[in-house]
Amino acid sequence: MRRILIVEDSPTMRALLTSALEELGTPVKITEAESGFEALRLLPRESFDLIVTDINMPDINGLELVSFVKSNAAYRSIPLVIVSTERSERDRDKGLGLGADAYLVKPFEPETLRQVAEDLLAASREG
Amino acid sequence: MSVRGPHAERAPGWESLARAALRPRRVAEDPGVLRRLLAFELEGAPYAVPVERVREIVRLRPITPIPRTPPDVRGVISLRGEIVLVIDARQRLQLPQAPPTRSSRIIVVQNDEGRVAGLLVDGVNAVLRVAEDAFRLTPPGEPGAVAALCRCGDRFVSVLDLERMLDVDPDV
Amino acid sequence: MARRRSRSGRTSKTEQEFVSEAEEIIERMRGGLADLEDQRAANDEVDPEVVNRLFRSAHSLKALAGLFGLDPIRHLAHQLEEILDALRLGRVSLESPAISLIAEAVRVFATLLEAVGDAEAIEVAAAPVAGLSEQIEAAVRAARSGPEVVEALDVDPEVLRTLTEYEEHRLQESLRHGRHIVLVDATFEIDSFEAGLTALSAAVRSQGELISTLPAPDDGSDSRIRFSLLSASSLAADALAGRIDVPGASVRSAMRRAAPRAPAAATPVEGADGLPSLQSISETVRVDIRKLDELMNLVGELVIQRGALGDLITTLQSHHATAWIANDFTRVHKELNRKLKDLQTAVIDVRMVPLHQIFEKVSRVVRGLRRELGKDVRLEVRGADTELDKLLVEELVDPLMHVVRNALDHAIEAPAERVARGKPPQGRIGIDAFQRGNHVVIAVSDDGTGIDTQGLRARAEARGLVAADETLSERDVLELIFAPGISTRLGVTDTSGRGVGMDVVRTNLTALGGVVDVKSTPGSGTTISMTLPITLAIVQSLIVCVDEQRFAIPLGSVLETLLVEPREIQRSRDRELLDLRGEALPLRRLSAEFGLGTPPPEAKLFAVVVGIGDLHMGLLVDRLEGQQDTVIKPIQGPIAAIRGIAGATEIGDREPVLVLDVAALVEDPQRRREAPCP
Repeated sequence: MRRILIVEDSPTMRALLTSALEELGTPVKITEAESGFEALRLLPRESFDLIVTDINMPDINGLELVSFVKSNAAYRSIPLVIVSTERSERDRDKGLGLGADAYLVKPFEPETLRQVAEDLLAASREG
Repeated sequence: MSVRGPHAERAPGWESLARAALRPRRVAEDPGVLRRLLAFELEGAPYAVPVERVREIVRLRPITPIPRTPPDVRGVISLRGEIVLVIDARQRLQLPQAPPTRSSRIIVVQNDEGRVAGLLVDGVNAVLRVAEDAFRLTPPGEPGAVAALCRCGDRFVSVLDLERMLDVDPDV
Repeated sequence: MARRRSRSGRTSKTEQEFVSEAEEIIERMRGGLADLEDQRAANDEVDPEVVNRLFRSAHSLKALAGLFGLDPIRHLAHQLEEILDALRLGRVSLESPAISLIAEAVRVFATLLEAVGDAEAIEVAAAPVAGLSEQIEAAVRAARSGPEVVEALDVDPEVLRTLTEYEEHRLQESLRHGRHIVLVDATFEIDSFEAGLTALSAAVRSQGELISTLPAPDDGSDSRIRFSLLSASSLAADALAGRIDVPGASVRSAMRRAAPRAPAAATPVEGADGLPSLQSISETVRVDIRKLDELMNLVGELVIQRGALGDLITTLQSHHATAWIANDFTRVHKELNRKLKDLQTAVIDVRMVPLHQIFEKVSRVVRGLRRELGKDVRLEVRGADTELDKLLVEELVDPLMHVVRNALDHAIEAPAERVARGKPPQGRIGIDAFQRGNHVVIAVSDDGTGIDTQGLRARAEARGLVAADETLSERDVLELIFAPGISTRLGVTDTSGRGVGMDVVRTNLTALGGVVDVKSTPGSGTTISMTLPITLAIVQSLIVCVDEQRFAIPLGSVLETLLVEPREIQRSRDRELLDLRGEALPLRRLSAEFGLGTPPPEAKLFAVVVGIGDLHMGLLVDRLEGQQDTVIKPIQGPIAAIRGIAGATEIGDREPVLVLDVAALVEDPQRRREAPCP
């Protein structure tokens, strides 16, 4: 059972990301956070194998979450995917520069997300 | 980051996902696993509901009737502060009426959305473990609320469709 | 409420879900637009946060519409997002045609949403999309003078790493205005950081702009988390530290070099003074309403236990040997009673919030619509400090908004028409809130056209709700506005029509145990009064008995009880009446209402006189069984609302007692359109 944390403030997007990831080839347990703050609270309580985060959120932005995860020894190894509607190349470069493992720009096919998630989960299992 | 092409057979688009996401979730059925059913009795015949939908089984307690409801709605009971609607399984399945006895029980079940209701039955028997292949389609003539028949030893148990059992017509 | 659509048959459930989420987004956009308008009118600096929120709304709408394959909405939302992005990044100014294009787009969204689920209607509604999109595109293109040059910022590069493009832009703007860029640091327990962080953010905002919140692991401990709030302020770090009086917070400069590029004093900064008392921030706790519900439930359980204790005392009293214990017991019980009442009052008090929050929302919408509809209206709000249970306040938003929009949209005439009728050109809409006993009344009045009772009746006849030869009092005719399918005016507009009528307002209010009343004078105005109970929590109820079944009637709506001899009951057509001090009190037998057995015809009965708003009625019951504290609970189970039953309650023993929904019982006859009083 792989555990995935989804951080996304729009309820519809959250439900869709969840249903897309529920159909991975491997069994998953998905935890949803409605905000960056909620994600910060969840991180020390549960362990995750993958984080999928939005970038544009009202409390802290996705980049800050990436920085927090990647600068913390306890979470650094969790693969992280940024999912954004932003077309800003600067945001993408920053996200990847901060250590995010993938940056998907909406709209993308759910299959794309599943492929990326499967690749990252497989890599983290091997590592 | 390399992105592989979508697989045609398991690539629902966002639009179909959007529609699916808003429908109530169903528990995935694993064909290899035994299903557990709570068996109970009505008019001497065996019936069952899926165990995962049963919240608790309580003894008979005072039921307050509610006006303006159909006759198969027995009324409400108080369950640790909750007020729970009780449906008379006999009446719902159009079986002969009979007064409750000492062995009568109320099976408190929960539907997909987490809503709770009570089912008044004659008595509760046991939890059955049944393989998927023991399920048979309902033959014609069975009441609509019977979802399937299930072979258990030498008897057929009627497995109830809880959504149909608990459906209440609002304006009767 | 506006989400209910009359033609639900044509839309799938999913589409309706989409429509309701999209309507919420559009509602937020309307509010944001109105704020921008106001800031522009007042020549204030445009609040970047308002533009950013509008951008986020357009962004969400685009994403949603894309998912549901609604191309016209997605296309227009995309253009809107472009222009708002340019606006928030300072590439387009509000003075350009931007604001009217945005307003137009929001209007088109509303008509598009209205058409979801109807291919033909969508096509009609989508007609203006292409032209409008081109206009917006042109405006963005004209303004774009090449990509913004990112200046080398003097800010600590470590900070810049996690800023989005927009946040960088805000940083740059602040530096351009000569503001100090500071970092406010504080460390919190990770399990409970939100309350402290919210207080700190509020303190920072009161001194300038909060650009970004940066979390970082705490070096010392796993259970703690450090936040750095990147802020722009007219005050330098040292001065700011003195103003931010939050325990544990420290302030440092985020600049690479110490001095800002321009003298700080030269530019005024929003929010520099008018600082709210930080004392009050630190002494206030934000509490999740669910925790209050839990607390309330616990109090409710205690109240029930107290009832059981009372029963025990009665048992003790009935035996000689234990009667003396009963006396001591009674004293303790009384004291417990008093304290429990205090506790109840205190808990209910915590749930109370003043109405001004929703009144502010209403006035924002009125400001926005005023412009859209070309009407000149003054909104007068009185009694905004009247308090109501938090949950009820939330439920009140939709009905209130609907009534106010109705007034603005349909009742208030255009300025020229008003002058022609001898009225001042500016219309007036009043919202008055006040407490009356255990209820709160919210009255929305206007000085507009009044309700056209003849037209109303004609429409009711056309719909077969009233027979042509039926005699109706003026009041009965006015009540027809609450009949399903009747809208107050012929025209159904985008603003309030939507195929949703006052019947939904009444349904919503009734579900909350309230009533809605209408008074109108042709030519000079209409008043819609909504009466609600102050709280839905613990209420005193009168326990009555009918055919040996007990029912609870909330005391808040009981005016008095009377012993009635059968011969005192008068008949008038199919109705029963009682002469109550010269007034005709309509009676209703609960036994008939609920299909229960009736007592012998010569038996005395009790009439419980109930009233909500101006409606009075006597409920006939077999017996009265005294008063009880009751916690009204919803009935769990797959059952639609039962007319006349508000829920159930436990009293001492385990048998639930049904609680009557007095509002529904009192309103029933009008809804069923029974014959009027002669």
